[in-house]
Amino acid sequence: MNTQLEHSDLTEDAKMEAFLAKIDRGEKIEADDWMPDDYRNQLIKLISMHGISEIMGALPEKEWVPKAPTLRRKLAIMAKVQDEMGHGQLLLRVAEDLIAPLGKTREDIMQDLFAGRLKFHNVFHMEAPTWADAGVIGWLVDGAAIITQSMSLDTSYAPYARALHRICAEEKFHAQHGESIVLELAEGTEEQRQMLQESITRWWPSLLMFFGPPENGNITSNQASNMRYKIRSQTNEELRQIFLKKYLPRIFHLGFTVPDETIYFDEAEDKWIYQQPDWEEFKQIVKGKGPRSAHRLHLREMSYEETKWVRDAILSYGRQVG
Amino acid sequence: MSNQTNNENFVIYEVFSQKTVSASFVHQFSLLAPNAEVALSMARENFLRREPCFNLWVVKRDDIHGLPPEERPFLERLDNKSYRETKGYGDLQGRWRRHKDEYEAQHNTKSGS
Ligand SMILES: [Fe+2]
Ligand SMILES: [Fe+2]
Repeated sequence: MNTQLEHSDLTEDAKMEAFLAKIDRGEKIEADDWMPDDYRNQLIKLISMHGISEIMGALPEKEWVPKAPTLRRKLAIMAKVQDEMGHGQLLLRVAEDLIAPLGKTREDIMQDLFAGRLKFHNVFHMEAPTWADAGVIGWLVDGAAIITQSMSLDTSYAPYARALHRICAEEKFHAQHGESIVLELAEGTEEQRQMLQESITRWWPSLLMFFGPPENGNITSNQASNMRYKIRSQTNEELRQIFLKKYLPRIFHLGFTVPDETIYFDEAEDKWIYQQPDWEEFKQIVKGKGPRSAHRLHLREMSYEETKWVRDAILSYGRQVG
Repeated sequence: MSNQTNNENFVIYEVFSQKTVSASFVHQFSLLAPNAEVALSMARENFLRREPCFNLWVVKRDDIHGLPPEERPFLERLDNKSYRETKGYGDLQGRWRRHKDEYEAQHNTKSGS
């Protein structure tokens, strides 16, 4: 324990060794603990991307708030949109504490987003033209998010784990909200079923892309170091297989199809063999060249500008009384 | 840049909530707010959308004093404090029972004997 007290006297190598040993013992890292720059940078990248994705993710569904078919559906989708903004708030706080030692603030995260330096999930660059998309987003996009977030519940970075703990509890409601819309349509008229089938077909490539490119035996250095640091514990492909195993049977049970004529489950390998989406297109989408990227970014920037007077008013009020 | 000054005036508040009148306050999370009043309403929006709540505190993070990381390991309790705990007195029940049994044997008071 004396080694802890004299931590500042240790060489960088010895600090790194103690850090890795701590992670290997299953202990967690707090914001004010010593951490290697590489660990901090990986976390900043991951958590700011996650936080911004929550906020950008509310936008395609927000489009459906005024058009929801019943009052109950309207209340439920409003609640979901509000939850997503709340998730963004939690995650941005975790990211802020990580960037604070670098002299950065939330403002830098927002400006990085507006300038296209900060990416967000591929799915939130896509269109949601029908009510069925609102259902499919909740059912399958939130379903996919639950799979990656549940993996991260055990992350070595304690503040992220605590945020995810809150988030995952609410994601379960999001998935059920989506399932409820989807089942209503699936049990509905031919027209409703067709609308749902079109939505599943539209979202299929994006859902495959959600987990990122497969490793094909070559885990990227990013993934490898995140696994070494126990920031994550499963690869892109492992997560995608969990998703396929959970959701493909359900799509089939409802009598729907996915746009992949050769897809099949390989019993011996215990995995789904599917056609790869266009990974070049994926790169372009997350670079901000998806069908709705520019529009949603513009919306975000506009709302930031248009609410500036509120922030300014609160601050000047604070100065007067404080 | 005005946005930058904007941001410097926002501070971190830690949020604590109490589920019922008899419950202890529990730390929820933190948020960024320009003053305590806004922090309180944001705390409700951010953390109490579903959970029942009886009362709410927000505290500026700068006003909270905690242990630095290098002192935290010393919080771990040594495992020799059984004299402070009920589990350090686990022999009492058996001893009382023995005295009762001996007494009853001596005085033949046990029913049916
Ligand atoms: Fe979320
Ligand atoms: Fe969600």
